[in-house]
Amino acid sequence: MMEGVRDLHLDDGITYVGAPEAELEALTRVHTTKYLDELESFCLQGGGDIDPDTYARSDSFAAARRAAGAGLEAIRTLELQGEGVAFVPVRPPGHHAEADRAMGFCLLNNIAVSAAALAEKGQRVLIVDWDVHHGNGTQSIFWDDPRVLYVSAHQWPLFPGTGRAQEVGGPSAVGLSVNIPLPRGATGDIVQSAFEQVAQPVIGRFAPDWVLVSCGFDAHRADPLGELALSTGDFSQLARLVRSFAPGPGRLALFLEGGYSARALRSSTTAVLGALLDVEVGLEPPTSGGPGREAVASAQTAQILAMAVLQDGGANSERN
Amino acid sequence: MSAIDSVAVGFDGSNDSRAALRWAASLAASSHASLKVVHAVGLLEHAGLSGQVAPHEEVVREIAVDAGMDSSAVEWLVVDGDPCSALLRMSEKPYSVDLVVVGSRGSGEHSGSLLGSTSLELVEHSSIPVVIVPLQRSSF
Repeated sequence: MMEGVRDLHLDDGITYVGAPEAELEALTRVHTTKYLDELESFCLQGGGDIDPDTYARSDSFAAARRAAGAGLEAIRTLELQGEGVAFVPVRPPGHHAEADRAMGFCLLNNIAVSAAALAEKGQRVLIVDWDVHHGNGTQSIFWDDPRVLYVSAHQWPLFPGTGRAQEVGGPSAVGLSVNIPLPRGATGDIVQSAFEQVAQPVIGRFAPDWVLVSCGFDAHRADPLGELALSTGDFSQLARLVRSFAPGPGRLALFLEGGYSARALRSSTTAVLGALLDVEVGLEPPTSGGPGREAVASAQTAQILAMAVLQDGGANSERN
Repeated sequence: MSAIDSVAVGFDGSNDSRAALRWAASLAASSHASLKVVHAVGLLEHAGLSGQVAPHEEVVREIAVDAGMDSSAVEWLVVDGDPCSALLRMSEKPYSVDLVVVGSRGSGEHSGSLLGSTSLELVEHSSIPVVIVPLQRSSF
């Protein structure tokens, strides 16, 4: 990751911020105290397998708290500087972690901790999730929270099994979960159209104060865990698109999630940050022609139906 | 109590899950219910990177038939997700099962820890009855 940052040759254009452990108060905005206590004690006893994917060691709770704290610190820095873009390249990742459950390599939901901190200050937060997997944890945490709009394009079916287009939010937040499930092999043009056609109208109405990105790079075609077909050129275009969602400078932060090809992690990092900072970098050509147009159209229909329910004053929505 | 028409059982190939499958199949056979055998696939197994051996449908059908079931009433489902979430979804449409059965401990879980225990999380979150089958009492 950091080699990908160094490839930008920004030198003194980068401000490095620390990653202090997130305060308990910040964590309990999104996680239950019972879960935090159990996770801490599990780690202190030496850790082990939490599920077939998720493992913790004795120092994992502290590491996860620092990962969550890095996001808070990055946001704080943006608030102070009022300009720039924050990139939070931390592990363990977060978007699968639910209020009371670790899963999918995730212990604490880093992006949710930052979003909840901003929401508590009265800010409206958009979370864009372009990781190849659906962010079940982030969605469930903000399912019924009208202060946060969650938008995800992801391969489906795939782990974690959530993220159908019909999952549109709880009674107080109908239409504020936007899911665009895409078939394996979907190319960059499909992902771009998913965000433009399905999500952009909702984002326009929501008018976010902040844009946080669950910036997984496992939708890259070289990734061993995902089967979407994106290139670094596609990530560059997606980065420009999410920048356009932010209301102004200093309101965009990207949080690393998945991404399991070291080469793709490096080149995709360079591509995304290069696009956001207007630095010329070498890119793989954008991809097109893959499957998924029907899936985008279906997701669009689901959103239209959600808005119709909302306008009718109904509050029925489907949750996976 | 309403009749049991459909039962879901979690199966990861572990001895506990085999015991749960035998118990669930016996119950389904005597209740003339259908049985959905659910294998949840995580991130690593989906990518073929898991160290564990994936269970096979033939083994599942053999155990169910030995327990008295007609093979046509057994459905083998491989679903993405963690085991708890996958089994919780079985109570929703289109599956709408009446009962969920699991072994006391799955293959990825170690003794002595409450965290990550599928059976305990299921009990905490499920909206339908859950049966936890201990390994040593596998006969119905």
